[in-house]
Amino acid sequence: MILTGVLLHCTFTVIQLYNMFFKLTPTTGQPLYLQLMQQIRHAAETGALRDGDQLPGIRTLAEELVVSPNTVAKAYSELEHEGLLELRPGSGAFVCVKRRTRSLADRVQVARHRIRDLVEGLREEGLLDEEIRRAFEAELLYPAEIARK
Amino acid sequence: MTNEAVILTHELIKSYGNAEAVRGLNLSVGRNSITAFLGRNGAGKSTTIKMLLGMIRPTAGSGTILGKQMTNAEENRELRRRVAYVAEDKPLYGYMTVEQTIRFASSFYPDWRRELEQKLLRDYELPLGRKVKMLSKGMRTKLALLLAFARRPNLLILDEPSEGLDPVGIEHLLQALVAQSAEGVAVFFSSHQIAEVERVADHVCILEKGSLLVDAPLDQLRQFYRRIDLVFPFPPTEREFRIPGVERIQTSGHQMSVFASRNAAAVIERAHDLNVVSVEVAPVGLRDIFLETVKES
Amino acid sequence: MLWYKAWLETRSRFLICLATLTLFSGIFVHHAEGLVRLESQSDFNRLLFVNQQFLVIMWVLAVVLMGMGGIVREKALGTSSLTLALPVSRARLLGVRVGMGVLEAIVLGVVPWVAVFFVSSFARKPILITQVASYILLLVGGGLVYFALAVLVSSLVSGEYTAPALAFGIVLLAAMLFDAWLRQFNLWRLVTGDFSIDRSTYLLSGHLPWLGILSSLSVAVLMVLVSTIVVQRREF
Repeated sequence: MILTGVLLHCTFTVIQLYNMFFKLTPTTGQPLYLQLMQQIRHAAETGALRDGDQLPGIRTLAEELVVSPNTVAKAYSELEHEGLLELRPGSGAFVCVKRRTRSLADRVQVARHRIRDLVEGLREEGLLDEEIRRAFEAELLYPAEIARK
Repeated sequence: MTNEAVILTHELIKSYGNAEAVRGLNLSVGRNSITAFLGRNGAGKSTTIKMLLGMIRPTAGSGTILGKQMTNAEENRELRRRVAYVAEDKPLYGYMTVEQTIRFASSFYPDWRRELEQKLLRDYELPLGRKVKMLSKGMRTKLALLLAFARRPNLLILDEPSEGLDPVGIEHLLQALVAQSAEGVAVFFSSHQIAEVERVADHVCILEKGSLLVDAPLDQLRQFYRRIDLVFPFPPTEREFRIPGVERIQTSGHQMSVFASRNAAAVIERAHDLNVVSVEVAPVGLRDIFLETVKES
Repeated sequence: MLWYKAWLETRSRFLICLATLTLFSGIFVHHAEGLVRLESQSDFNRLLFVNQQFLVIMWVLAVVLMGMGGIVREKALGTSSLTLALPVSRARLLGVRVGMGVLEAIVLGVVPWVAVFFVSSFARKPILITQVASYILLLVGGGLVYFALAVLVSSLVSGEYTAPALAFGIVLLAAMLFDAWLRQFNLWRLVTGDFSIDRSTYLLSGHLPWLGILSSLSVAVLMVLVSTIVVQRREF
């Protein structure tokens, strides 16, 4: 009885994972593998991905997202470097959520609040959403360019 | 895993009389990549592909495919055994039925995969007993693609594969390309569907008037190409911004728009030195990279 | 499966020509026997000789038709990119096409005469098998050069109508030239048996023009070799 319950839970989790939605946008100036990495990290932070969960294989995910297998491979590889994923040959990619990531999730939550307040303030000052977005984009891209120098 | 070249050409030239269809082409296509070959009509894409497959002889230059000399008839015949090619017009023999076509094609290639053939026949819903000349255009395209996808070659060359396909068909096509790449097949395809290319390509080559203007990983293009819109307190001089990496500058009154393939930071710094009022940096999609690249040549 | 493809490509033409030639020969011999009062064996033999004349014309037209096609024509049809992408040499592609055509040409020569043989046997006017064999040999041995000509023309010209028109034109021109200046080497007369016929018995003599046949076949082989080189050098 308990075994059946556990099995059902595992199966449900796997199905749940295969229904995870990653959305990669090719036109934002950011390499697709970075976007995928961010989305996987985000899923780990918010708890959609838990410690020990298995991600789809490179080929499966590539076909589902219709992106090059190299994109998925690079994302998985980099995340393994960071310690978020564990790649077991033959089995696949498994999530390792460490305490550090959890506190990161908290920090992201806090940052969200701050950004919300900031955006509210800018709107009150009369700035349009489009202008606010462009200012953020410029700010994010510009320091990165300077830093590379 | 090294990304050794499956296609490597050296100063490939093809001229017809005085006109040069392909000029000094140095193409390098990696084994573990999906490489997109972009170019306007008449840029020389099909000519290049035909030279690779021995259908046209180069005027000068050489190249190897899968290590074999492309200009040697015997070696070219050998390499064709491990290359799957679908021409732009998706050629098929009208007098053969779907089944005869498949039996015919499969007899030449040891890498034919019967189970893939069966799966694709089901997915594409192709009627086995119908003659090709009685098929609709969409079905003919699918059959032509099936002949390439029901195999596991070393290299897959497709010339405008999405032409004639509806959006669902295009999605299937891209999934098939991705599946082939995941199995270790090098994919080299030319396309006008820039949106599709942006999703699946690892590497992009842009050909214009027979020369390779861009030859870079797509991620690199995404990271470095930038459009920088600047507003100055006075009409700016373009000469100040002719920095390495700047491809095009457009000025209108106090505004200047800079299109850079790299070095955006230097442009921004120069702008700040000149007391710029507003700086806006935006990424550039592949379509705009393509249009700007061929425009200025 | 190149032979299979060559068969599919020529099947319709071949079967129509085969039916036409066989029916014609059978009906001609059968019908003519009723019309003409054949008083002697030599009259009957003359009938067979006349049949060969007709057969030659139809057979030559047929094999010229069979010789059409090939990769150059495929380029105009748009399928050359498929055929040339196959891991086979252009020489092999041409070779299979020629091989299938030669087999079909032989059948087109044999079957009508076999039909005549049976028609005559039924009418209790048996023909010597050696006569039938000789007519076939003259036809095919001397006439394959016309097939080779068609192959050569189709490797140079890609039009659906211009290629056969040119081939037929050359055949006609050759016939006229042979008749006007080269009577001694007139291929047409060789093929119809004119050189070997005994005018009193209208039987083909045992001395077949072997040299003529051999020369004709050599020219045929030469034409096929030239076609191979043309096709190998061509760009698609």
